[in-house]
Amino acid sequence: MTTFYINGQKVTANKNDTILSVARREGFYIPTLCYLTKVKPISSCRLCVVEVEGQNGFILSCQTPPVEGINVITDSQKLFTHRQNIMKMYDVNHPLECGVCDKSGNCDLQNKTLDFEVSSQEFSAKEQKRVIENWGFIKYDESLCILCERCVHVCNEVVGDNALKIGVGGYKSRIVRVEDSSCSECGECMAVCPVGALTTKDFQYKTNAWELQKIPATCAHCSSGCQIFYEVKHVGSCEKSDKKVYRVTNDVDINSLCGAGRFAYDFNNSSVKDKDKFEKAIEAFHVADTIVFNSYITNEEALILQRLKEKFGYKLINSSALKYQKFLQEFSKSAGSMLYNGTIEDIKSADFAIVLGSKISSDNPIVKYALNTAQKNRRAEICYLHPIQDEDIKQIVTQHIKYEVGSEEGVVALLLQLFLNQENLEDSLKSYIDELDIGYLSAESNIGEEELSKLKAKSIRKQNFVLVIGEDLITHKRAENIAKLIGLFQKYTQFKVIIIPTQTNTLGVSLICDLDEKKGNYSIGYNVKGNFTLSCFDGDLSMPSLNQQEGTFTTIDKRVVPTNVAISYNGYCLNDIANAIGLNKKYTIDYTIELPHEKGFIKKSFDELSNFYNLNGDDNRGYALENKVVNSIVAVESVEDIGEFNGTVVYRCESVNQFNYNTFVSKNLANDSFLIGSNQFAIAAKIGDGDEVEFSIGENLIKKVFKIDKKLKGTIAMNPSFDRLLSDDWVSSSYRYQKVTIKRVEG
Amino acid sequence: MKKGTQNYINIHTESSPQKPFEMFKQIVKRTFKGEMFVGLWIVFREMIRFNIHTIQYPKEKLPLSPRYRAVHKLLRLIESGNERCIGCGLCEKICIANCIRMDTKIDENSRKVVTEYTINLGRCIYCGYCAEVCPELAIVHGDRYENVSEQRAHFVLKDDMLTPLDLLKQKEQKEYPGFGAISDEADKFIKKTPLAY
Repeated sequence: MTTFYINGQKVTANKNDTILSVARREGFYIPTLCYLTKVKPISSCRLCVVEVEGQNGFILSCQTPPVEGINVITDSQKLFTHRQNIMKMYDVNHPLECGVCDKSGNCDLQNKTLDFEVSSQEFSAKEQKRVIENWGFIKYDESLCILCERCVHVCNEVVGDNALKIGVGGYKSRIVRVEDSSCSECGECMAVCPVGALTTKDFQYKTNAWELQKIPATCAHCSSGCQIFYEVKHVGSCEKSDKKVYRVTNDVDINSLCGAGRFAYDFNNSSVKDKDKFEKAIEAFHVADTIVFNSYITNEEALILQRLKEKFGYKLINSSALKYQKFLQEFSKSAGSMLYNGTIEDIKSADFAIVLGSKISSDNPIVKYALNTAQKNRRAEICYLHPIQDEDIKQIVTQHIKYEVGSEEGVVALLLQLFLNQENLEDSLKSYIDELDIGYLSAESNIGEEELSKLKAKSIRKQNFVLVIGEDLITHKRAENIAKLIGLFQKYTQFKVIIIPTQTNTLGVSLICDLDEKKGNYSIGYNVKGNFTLSCFDGDLSMPSLNQQEGTFTTIDKRVVPTNVAISYNGYCLNDIANAIGLNKKYTIDYTIELPHEKGFIKKSFDELSNFYNLNGDDNRGYALENKVVNSIVAVESVEDIGEFNGTVVYRCESVNQFNYNTFVSKNLANDSFLIGSNQFAIAAKIGDGDEVEFSIGENLIKKVFKIDKKLKGTIAMNPSFDRLLSDDWVSSSYRYQKVTIKRVEG
Repeated sequence: MKKGTQNYINIHTESSPQKPFEMFKQIVKRTFKGEMFVGLWIVFREMIRFNIHTIQYPKEKLPLSPRYRAVHKLLRLIESGNERCIGCGLCEKICIANCIRMDTKIDENSRKVVTEYTINLGRCIYCGYCAEVCPELAIVHGDRYENVSEQRAHFVLKDDMLTPLDLLKQKEQKEYPGFGAISDEADKFIKKTPLAY
């Protein structure tokens, strides 16, 4: 704790605080241009200079920690002139095209130029030849760039793609795209750009920033549930026309989005009320005994389904959520708490992280970002255990341990043996650990003992441990025992555990609904194929898509966060059906307050939930679930023999920025759904690049075009499933690795 | 008449009666004086004269001041014939009656173009702010004050407001001297920016 003064007022700073962060917390304004809360101080704009009383010269407040007793002066005539000169420098040769620039109206350069009353120019420089570059979906206009370096820093420190760098050359300096880097087209660079240098092709020249209405919401594509704003405006110039989402923005100072969140906003359902179809739906509900659904729904809708089950005895089928629910239950039995104890924030501040059973770059980009932040800012060891080496995250991962497909249980046991502190264990557990056949497990899972000892060595003197568990383990046939073993990690080691929910609201659904194993005779499908299908895409009755609904999601952070209506919907929603067949609530959000208390939800109505971060990055979104204590019973089973998994194996895995059909229909994302394999795989399966192939998983025949990815190694091919309209329930819940026979389709 | 002065005429009015009898007298006087016939005579006299001052609207119209603010026009660049409007949206923003709406897009030459531009004349209060704020002198007020049509929508589309190309060729488009136009002494206020070449 350091005590010092800002403009004469006494303030205190904590460890790691800078003068700027204290000033912001205490409400003093210091102008900044390049500073972003989420990355390390960039200190390129030098606008945040402050004076210290009794000392000559200025200091940069963004990177300077305060010294006991000093008096910092944030504003004086001298500082004003200094800052004004900086702004004049920025304005040298900056094109005067604010009239057409997309950034005009929320441009930092524009604002600060006006703030510091720059009305004439005294400096000049010879103008360079500046070009406009196309970086895929993003456009870089060099002449508008002020080289604040924000984009380079987020790409490096947050996203981890290292796709941008500075081409140094004095006044000729520019941002350069690194050749053959693994840019995941997340648009993060564009979002942080304080001027109009980076824009998207989709948005450019469509509208002015001030015309857009910002609707605070939650991204509905994956379980990270990032805070976003849907920016909407009417279409065209007709007064009564419908609204449209023009872009998605976020609080760039604090949070980050992936490409899907930022660009896949262009779908919504414009259906209107169709009485006949509605009557048919009601009839179908009277006939049906099963409701099949996925977890791309809000908590409220999940509760409606649960209420329908309680009242009319429907079977609720959602096998993906069921697997997660079972995993979480077994986990909590041995961990002693109902939920896992880690959050994204924990990953960011970790210095030792293990990722197990998840292709993290596509499964959950926000976890990938957090791992990258930990690695870049805290020099964390990131250990990635997965059968497939992922080129996209080679910049992040410090140790990649490859294991055999199907040996996940053994891998967990090996890790447990490695990290469990033997001293204060119960005897039964001690003997369990001692009896593990390390030799056998290590041989079958193909993890060398030296790899493990290297991992152990890296963990020495580390303090914040994190274990990230992915879908491979949740869908594994021994998932229950794996869950128990993971529970021990939370209970007996320093590791904070995070079990990534597989779909947007899997965690919410698994807490709210009593799910069933077996389907009945007649099923209603909600965004899943059923005998009668309700869907926002192409069903028997239209439903609103997630950006047309209000409600809450339960995120990976175990928070219940609200989302709002971006575009109004004129058709029927699930609540209308529920009301027609016997429930009684005016709005869907009337259920928010009734979310199950015993599962950790708090009695708060929808309107009480806020949805913002404050300037220091404190999360004020919704509320965190209570993590209730449960009785822990240690009843781990011995590791089952690990079977062989040879031959051609396909891995269910979406491509980067794709999650589901909602992202697939977006015109702004690359949506090729190829079967992607290595050269080696092509040889083994006797197929070539561009061949149309077919293979079957279970009883389902899948047809795809095969593409060779030269970066990929090994004999496992990636099989994306995001392109399946109203995909069957099994798609998202089967074990992610499947042994298949691949046939080439002639013709 | 001197510039800047008004010549007011003082009308001497009689003091109004105070007592009841005076009031009675005034009523009797006014009733029998026959003032009505004076007025009727004047009307008749003017009717049979030929140099009357009445404007025979719509056959003839009063000349308008160049600063008159009637239905808007969108101007073109005189040399190239391109539209002056760059789609900056400032008129849309400043409009206090909220009656301007526009839609823009990027064209094949990577320029911002205005695809739709409408002014709801039923709501427009002809304040002239749009013309004043326009940085390109693109939207101005015209002199067409007659809004007669079967539908209000007939006057408010972009094509109706934009100078037709043939009229532009005939040099029919005049620079607007009203709100937002550059003042005669504008050059005096320009601060020069140093150039390095």
